[in-house]
Amino acid sequence: MNVSPRQRILDRVCAATRADSNDYAGLPRSYIRAGALDQAGRLRLMTERLREYGAEVVASSPADLPSLVAHRLLESGRQHFAAPPGLPAEWLSRSLSWKVDNNLSHEEIEHCGGVVTAASAGIADSGTIVLHHGPLEGRRVITLLPDFHLCILRAAQIVETLPEYFACFPQAPRLATYISGPSATADIEMTRINGVHGPRFLSVIIVRDSPTSAEIQSSTNEAVRHDAI
Amino acid sequence: MNTVVEERPTTGRHAPVMDPAIAPSFPVAALPILQDTQLRKNVAHATDVIQSKRNHLVAEKKDWQELRNSASAMRAHVLANLGKYLEQFEANCTAAGGTVHWARDAAEARAVILNILREEKAAEVIKIKAMTSAEIQLNPALETAGIAAIETDLAELILQLGEDEPSHIVVPALHVNRRQVREIFAQRMGLSELSDDPKALTTAARSYLRSKFLSVPTAISGANFLIAESGSVAIVESEGNGRMCLTLPQTLITLAGIEKVLPRFTDLEVMLQVLARSATGERMNPYTSLWSGITPGDGPQRFHVVLLDNGRSEILARKVERQTLQCIRCAACLNACPVYRQTGGHAYGSPYAGPIGAILTPQLQHMRHAQSLPYASSLCAACYEVCPVKINIPEVLIELRAQVTDQQRTRVREWLDPMFLGMKAANFAFGSAWRFRLAQRFGRIALRGFTGEDGWIHKLPSLGAKWTQSRDLRGLPQQTFREWWATRDRSAGKEAK
Amino acid sequence: MRASLFITCYNDTLFPETGRAVVRLLERLGVELDFHTAQTCCGQMHANTGFRAEAFSQAKRFVRIYRDAESVVIPSSSCVAMMRDQYPGLFAELGAESLRNDFHALLPRVYELSEFLNDRLGLEDVGAFFPHRVAYHASCHGLRSLHVGDRPIRLLNKVRGFDLALPANLDRCCGFGGTFSIKNAEVSSAMLEAKLADVLATGAEYFTALDNSCLMHLGGALHRQNNPMRAIHIAEILASTADHPYEATT
Repeated sequence: MNVSPRQRILDRVCAATRADSNDYAGLPRSYIRAGALDQAGRLRLMTERLREYGAEVVASSPADLPSLVAHRLLESGRQHFAAPPGLPAEWLSRSLSWKVDNNLSHEEIEHCGGVVTAASAGIADSGTIVLHHGPLEGRRVITLLPDFHLCILRAAQIVETLPEYFACFPQAPRLATYISGPSATADIEMTRINGVHGPRFLSVIIVRDSPTSAEIQSSTNEAVRHDAI
Repeated sequence: MNTVVEERPTTGRHAPVMDPAIAPSFPVAALPILQDTQLRKNVAHATDVIQSKRNHLVAEKKDWQELRNSASAMRAHVLANLGKYLEQFEANCTAAGGTVHWARDAAEARAVILNILREEKAAEVIKIKAMTSAEIQLNPALETAGIAAIETDLAELILQLGEDEPSHIVVPALHVNRRQVREIFAQRMGLSELSDDPKALTTAARSYLRSKFLSVPTAISGANFLIAESGSVAIVESEGNGRMCLTLPQTLITLAGIEKVLPRFTDLEVMLQVLARSATGERMNPYTSLWSGITPGDGPQRFHVVLLDNGRSEILARKVERQTLQCIRCAACLNACPVYRQTGGHAYGSPYAGPIGAILTPQLQHMRHAQSLPYASSLCAACYEVCPVKINIPEVLIELRAQVTDQQRTRVREWLDPMFLGMKAANFAFGSAWRFRLAQRFGRIALRGFTGEDGWIHKLPSLGAKWTQSRDLRGLPQQTFREWWATRDRSAGKEAK
Repeated sequence: MRASLFITCYNDTLFPETGRAVVRLLERLGVELDFHTAQTCCGQMHANTGFRAEAFSQAKRFVRIYRDAESVVIPSSSCVAMMRDQYPGLFAELGAESLRNDFHALLPRVYELSEFLNDRLGLEDVGAFFPHRVAYHASCHGLRSLHVGDRPIRLLNKVRGFDLALPANLDRCCGFGGTFSIKNAEVSSAMLEAKLADVLATGAEYFTALDNSCLMHLGGALHRQNNPMRAIHIAEILASTADHPYEATT
């Protein structure tokens, strides 16, 4: 009789744990779940953490967004931008060269100097941007190959703590990428070098409904550059 | 495949032996490393940097102990219900388009992987660093099969090109300095003008690897977590080579120890918080990737998971040792360990070094090899203090020492080992007060001959020589405490109890 | 207040002056001390080297001897750690039920010296006088098993004339580790060198700890290197008074 490796392993595992009983629901969970900050506080924290990682952060009102996107991309000095197929048309400024990802080849994406996407969530505590790779975020490859990533995050999408993110999204997405800064290595003499693989430049626009973004501006060291149209 | 180049630059030392079945014992392997001041400086520096970042973030994290408790309980719960969660993972991964394989041991895992690669007609594979891959000695097997394995983690790349071995789980090339990296890259990548600035070196690696990422259709990865509820895999990284290998190729093989399972997606809220802080001293590592099976149009369209036992089910069955499997490979214990600080990873003769290596390695070898590793510790418990999943490593070390000793008891030859004899003799002496007093007196007399005029012993024979290598020993006092107490009782006329 | 002194096998044989200091100190504080002559060893060395059955025979002996003790005072944090960390497992696995019960009833009455002074006697100021600069090393078992915390430091800070120096990395292991110092002598020495560098950098005349094991390891190296810094057990500092100040034996 030929017992499969699978059966052998499961038999051994079950024999090893036969006497155990354990209850998932009874697991201790006294760690912090909900954050204590209000939205303004969350935005401040998110901005601070992003900037700590070397990402560029600016605030925007919804009305200013399309022009700010165009401005940011022009400033980046890149040619050709990739965009996920669901990106709002008004973000695709005609003064720039776009490749919308309807199954672009890797070579075509390599040719793009930057990419623009939305996001699914922001986690302020760690400055994490969450992509679930839906139509406004695109396939994983388009936020991987280009060197510059402009990410549009709505203020309402930002939570403070990691458990809050999981409370919002208790079901595992099919695909997810959690970005907490540009890629980094400290492998050579513990010298931190940013930008090994993946985009070396991350730029974030946080979109708020309030008319001013003074709170974000005043609480950070850097001047926030925000040009109107 | 590999052309033979005459003077291949290496990291300047013979590649250490990392196969626990044949590696020299820890005390022996440590000797040359203790002479290597540069390496020890590098190890101390690297571990200091990570530890200080880690300590800062832990101090900031008000619920750190609560997170540890949850992480520990969660991992223990998974292990207690491992069969159920493995089956759940398999079902969900398969439903999502993955193929799940089970490997009882290293040979079986290698065979499964080679089989897949042969079906794919793969001539090359790009690899994300995986401890399990080193554990099963995959790369030599690939080489024998004529398949080029390209390591894509910067440190692993440095080590591969430099024909060296990792010395730390998270920062594997910490024993290599920039000058050495420059030499390796200059020759192996043909970049004679390359400077030794880490930024330039990293840029060189980026270019070199990019062409591989874009052209090699098969990748092999490990896994940080397997999510049972959704059949998903999570990989935690810093450089982005993981994302490259997980996204660009057509076929992905993930090799994971069976203990890597977590029950639910939301359980990552605990594990990710403790892992990044412990491993690299960050609130969150730059990139974490999660995928479930196959997604049409996005990423590899052929996905295999190889679940590896290789001794884990045996460890699972043992009451005290089971906690070894709770490990999430953060390497905080390495960074905290004062022994590791002096030797780095190569002395452990295993892909798993430091405190976790000292308990995992011999157990994966079914306690037949690496028997010196449980003794490679002063039992200071600094590791236990920082372990995010609260593995009581000293407790397991002591348990494994008992097993090694029990093996010694069955071998007559061992009974004459001075340490063994000494232990038996001491136990005999401790068995009664008069025997103990006799032993004390005997010791005093025996050591008198070695005691100098200053009242100190400078040189002892046999095991004692190990002490006097670097330390003096004060000569045994003329009167033991109990002898003094006895006289005192008499002279003071106190009632003795 | 009565207490039984468990001197420990190595203090008894190698550091009787520590025992004498404990007696002087505790009697000065009004404790009536006894010394059961049947005592030998707690079993730690055997347990930590893998000789579990032998360790258990010593553990049993300890429990039988001290079963009726009001308190047991032990000037060695590693021996107390042995009892708190490993005795439960040994008695559970190898011991008869009645002996196991005796052990669990006894355990709360076992104290390391600084615990006895702080917790049992409620003292920080023991009337000591030791006008020297002294570096303190946190013995690992005291620190991580017993969680003595800052008890030793609070005691030392009340010593008149005392100048406490805290070395860098004071919680890093000195490298003794029992038989580790023999089985891995070279690594042990490397750890010792690192610890010495931190301790010597304080410029102290003495250095102290809760355990003579750490002290003989460091003290042995200091002597080998002809360094004037001396090891001294905390009991000997606390036993030193203005009327009867500490005198080194060698």
